Amino acid sequence: MNKEFFQVKQHLLTGVSYVIPFIASGGILIALAIAFAPMGDKGPIFDNTPILKLIIDIGGSAFKLLLPVLAGYISFSRAGKPGLVAGMVGGQIAATVNAGFLGALVAGLIAGWVVELIKKLPVPSMVRPLMPILIIPILSTVIVGTLMLKVVGLPIAALMVFLGEWLQSLGTSNAVMLGALLGVMIAFDMGGPINKAAFFFGSAMISQGNPYIMGAVAAAICVPPLGLGLATKISPKQWSEQDREAGSAALAMGMIGITEGAIPFAAADPLRVIPTICIGSALASSIAMIFGVGDHAPHGGPIVLPVVDNRIMYVVAILVGVAFTAIAINVVKRVTAPATETPEA
Amino acid sequence: MKIVAVTACPTGIAHTYMAAEKLSTVGREFGHEVKVETQGAMGIESRLSAADIAAADVVVFAVDIAVEEEERFAGKKIVRVPIHAVLKDAKKLFTSL
Repeated sequence: MNKEFFQVKQHLLTGVSYVIPFIASGGILIALAIAFAPMGDKGPIFDNTPILKLIIDIGGSAFKLLLPVLAGYISFSRAGKPGLVAGMVGGQIAATVNAGFLGALVAGLIAGWVVELIKKLPVPSMVRPLMPILIIPILSTVIVGTLMLKVVGLPIAALMVFLGEWLQSLGTSNAVMLGALLGVMIAFDMGGPINKAAFFFGSAMISQGNPYIMGAVAAAICVPPLGLGLATKISPKQWSEQDREAGSAALAMGMIGITEGAIPFAAADPLRVIPTICIGSALASSIAMIFGVGDHAPHGGPIVLPVVDNRIMYVVAILVGVAFTAIAINVVKRVTAPATETPEA
Repeated sequence: MKIVAVTACPTGIAHTYMAAEKLSTVGREFGHEVKVETQGAMGIESRLSAADIAAADVVVFAVDIAVEEEERFAGKKIVRVPIHAVLKDAKKLFTSL
């Protein structure tokens, strides 16, 4: 059971690993074009700016590939090369029925599973060469396509529409809750599966026209490494030589949005570090959420500032989170000192 | 022991390389000869040669995602762990080999 779960997670994450560059390319190109185009009543106007129009068209094309690539490589992870076609077609259908990224995840998993089953069919050796070039591609695509169009696609599309409306209708208090939850998820395992779940939710929402989730996530991402790095600078005596070195590295990693920079601290002292960075990140993401900070790139930290909406509040959100984390960890360390030996060095 | 390993994480910019370094350094402490191939966002780097794989006593996959070109390792003894297992406690992994 546990093994099955681990494998499903691995398939999903494989799809994610292939799709991230598409989100980066599409998200940033679109955001750049919109940022420089003159604003009209109904959004940016591209009539008089052929170059910006070109850029947004290219970005839009990259985004259109997002769901097929995601579903295709989830299926690829499970079933290898023969899985790619049914997965991609399933992902494309998820896009056309508005089942969004959830639909693509399901399409990819179903496609991989269907192709694995077809591969196991006992076939006469005469027919065997036809399997990979004709039978598997056609049969698996028909099965996955039918399932996506007629069965699973529709409830997922309804769910996605509901989710989208719910996110848009969120009042301030709910937005704070959601922001805080995302922040905790980002900080909790610093780049692990929980962090990636929040990160991918944010990235996927960019392509659904909602950059605000990613804005909150982006602010939270850099808080743990920046906050802990800063803590070692403002009170070096409290930290070991090794920590201070890790602190400089953490500052650099935080600037470019790599939460993993906080891992050395969390590994050495999880009980004090992890709750502190969770609160710090939650603060940053809540503030970003309240003030409608949007991020059009699937990445976080100060480095994405050029493609962020409401930049001032983005910076404020990060500064508050970082300041809280740095001060809180030093206070916590002092109050609970002398440090108890961690069980494993 | 001769060990070859593959590391891969979903984003492929941090954990993949941190785990690769950990496997090399900790493996050396244990007296093993370790070669690590990274499958990060840049694709396959430090690719393991067919000779490396043939000579290895054991293959370690420290991965959260599918291994690329996994067929190269067919027939070898494969130990598969999530990547955080290496980051958290690589010694435990080597002890259990």
